[in-house]
Amino acid sequence: MATRVDTLEPMPGPDAEPEGPPGRKLTPREWMRANLFGSKLDTVLTILFGLLLAWLAYRIGRFVFVDARWEIIERNITNLMVGAYPRDQIWRLWTALFVLAAFLGWGAGAMGMQRRQEVREGRARPMPKGGVRRLVPIILLVVVLLGFAQSLQALVLVVAIAAVGAAFNVIGRRTPERLWRYVPLIVLGGILIAFIVVTAFGGVGWSQWGGFLLTVFLAVSAILLSFPIGVLLALGRRSSLPVVRWVCITYIEFFRGVPLITILFLAFFMIGFILPEGVEPPSLVTRAIIGFTLFTCAYIAEIVRGGLQSVPAGQIEAAQALGLSPFRTTFRIVLPQALRAVIPGIVGQFISLFKDTSLVFILGLSELLAVAQNITKQPDFLAEGLYVETLIFASFVYWAGSYWMSRESQRLERRLGVGE
Amino acid sequence: MSTENGKGMIQLERVSKWFGDFQALKDVDLAIDRQEVVVVCGPSGSGKSTMIRCINRLEKHDGGRIVVDGIELSDDLRNIQEIRREVGMVFQQFNLFPHLSVLENITLAPRNVRRKPRKEAEERAMEQLRRVRIPEQAHKYPLQLSGGQQQRVAIARALAMEPKIMLFDEPTSALDPEMIKEVLDVMIELAESGMTMIVVTHEMGFARAVANRMVFMADGEIVEVGTPEHFFTDPQEERTKQFLAQIL
Repeated sequence: MATRVDTLEPMPGPDAEPEGPPGRKLTPREWMRANLFGSKLDTVLTILFGLLLAWLAYRIGRFVFVDARWEIIERNITNLMVGAYPRDQIWRLWTALFVLAAFLGWGAGAMGMQRRQEVREGRARPMPKGGVRRLVPIILLVVVLLGFAQSLQALVLVVAIAAVGAAFNVIGRRTPERLWRYVPLIVLGGILIAFIVVTAFGGVGWSQWGGFLLTVFLAVSAILLSFPIGVLLALGRRSSLPVVRWVCITYIEFFRGVPLITILFLAFFMIGFILPEGVEPPSLVTRAIIGFTLFTCAYIAEIVRGGLQSVPAGQIEAAQALGLSPFRTTFRIVLPQALRAVIPGIVGQFISLFKDTSLVFILGLSELLAVAQNITKQPDFLAEGLYVETLIFASFVYWAGSYWMSRESQRLERRLGVGE
Repeated sequence: MSTENGKGMIQLERVSKWFGDFQALKDVDLAIDRQEVVVVCGPSGSGKSTMIRCINRLEKHDGGRIVVDGIELSDDLRNIQEIRREVGMVFQQFNLFPHLSVLENITLAPRNVRRKPRKEAEERAMEQLRRVRIPEQAHKYPLQLSGGQQQRVAIARALAMEPKIMLFDEPTSALDPEMIKEVLDVMIELAESGMTMIVVTHEMGFARAVANRMVFMADGEIVEVGTPEHFFTDPQEERTKQFLAQIL
């Protein structure tokens, strides 16, 4: 029998859902009923996949916590971290970490204050609480590494480094306002000091670095070099000078069309070839950095070009109408907006680069993954087949770094108001 | 040059402009005096915007001469920059720089082009913001403001360069009706202060209030020029009559 509804607002029937504003939080029970056990098919699928997941979790958990023979990592933790880096010079790395913690902690404190003032003045949106949560992937990584190191000395040093970082963070918050604009410069200076501590005054040149240290060094230097070059290439590709334009297009299209491995080989063989006689060819590590930079900057150029195209013509007209020079129009008006629009693409490229550094094993360099492979061939572990343990460890380290970059990129996007 | 002694501010002589095969301006002649307020109207596609965009070289004219405050517009970049310093422009879409705060939007050109120290530029910027009645928005970003506020910031930004001429390219066309008045009020004050202005607009109330001359354009030509009284009560040309019948 059909019921006629006379009122405009139909009354809820006896078994209707309890009313509430849309978007109201469901209780876990309601949520489960709505999303997991909505129909018979849902129920069957939920149970099936639930069992599958539970089984997988059990197997993986059992392997990681019971079956795996982690002693291969425990005994090689230093190898994995620094490769063939001379052991009697490791104090330099610890010192560098102290320097980095101090400068980065100070910088974060000063930037935080700057940010807070902007929020107070109504210039910026308040950010969701970041603080220590920003560092979760890194902290996780450090905890795991310390777990494998099983060294009281390392633990004490790490705690001391964290304490220095925190202390300088507090100092950073008291930075006078007139210094704020120099913060990035000072932090960059700190990174340079850390670098000098390791390499200069009888230190260890980067050609002797290995393991995770080499991975990070390759990635960071290639990122720092390829970003500005890529931006210039993108600008050059839009230049009104035909020669500049064609050089840039040729470069970009060539390097995007060639596999990274090929470029690494080219950097390996060709650089010594191109240099005039008598000039000592650069170290393998330097050549690898050149290779990565040549490759990555072509991709950055194309990503940035996309961003440049997204800046409305009216922006350029407004700048011109104000009498700004073409140079200032580009660097003050167009580029900042273009780069903001393509942060996800650029960071994605850098994450790729971070992981692609593992390819340098073909040049005979021992970064993290190469060390992870090599230690399975040590006399003690030969024929033990501990590949899975070393690969899980290496994957975890790459994951922590990549995930951290990804989260920082999202934070940067929100801060700069992408998609406002 | 002859214009330096006279009161002429802008001369357009037989200016023509082509977009491909389409002729947007056909031998346009117009002379504008110091402190004169000229309102340009006409149907869309008639070349109004193109004409004022030629004056500060956002469009390059293909024929004829343009002389601004005694400087003839040529291909020389320095020459163009010199004219742009003297000519402020306000756009239909505001074109504020979204990544800079209101204050930075206004101080950018005075600091970089006029080489004013930061402090002085900021003080002047605040003066301009008071003039357009939104000093309290100085530290906000453009997208946090309403359309009318954004357009007033755009006016303040142009004024901060202390231009001798202001060009307005349909400044109220992108605004919601309730915000048009706040922008027009600022423009009326500016006109009364003696600024030389060329305003492309369909706001006939504004034209009646402050225009010294009306220019009616159609199909890339200036069809009729006259004082507002003449223009609105006794238009001579058939096309002007048609146009006025449509918009009034």
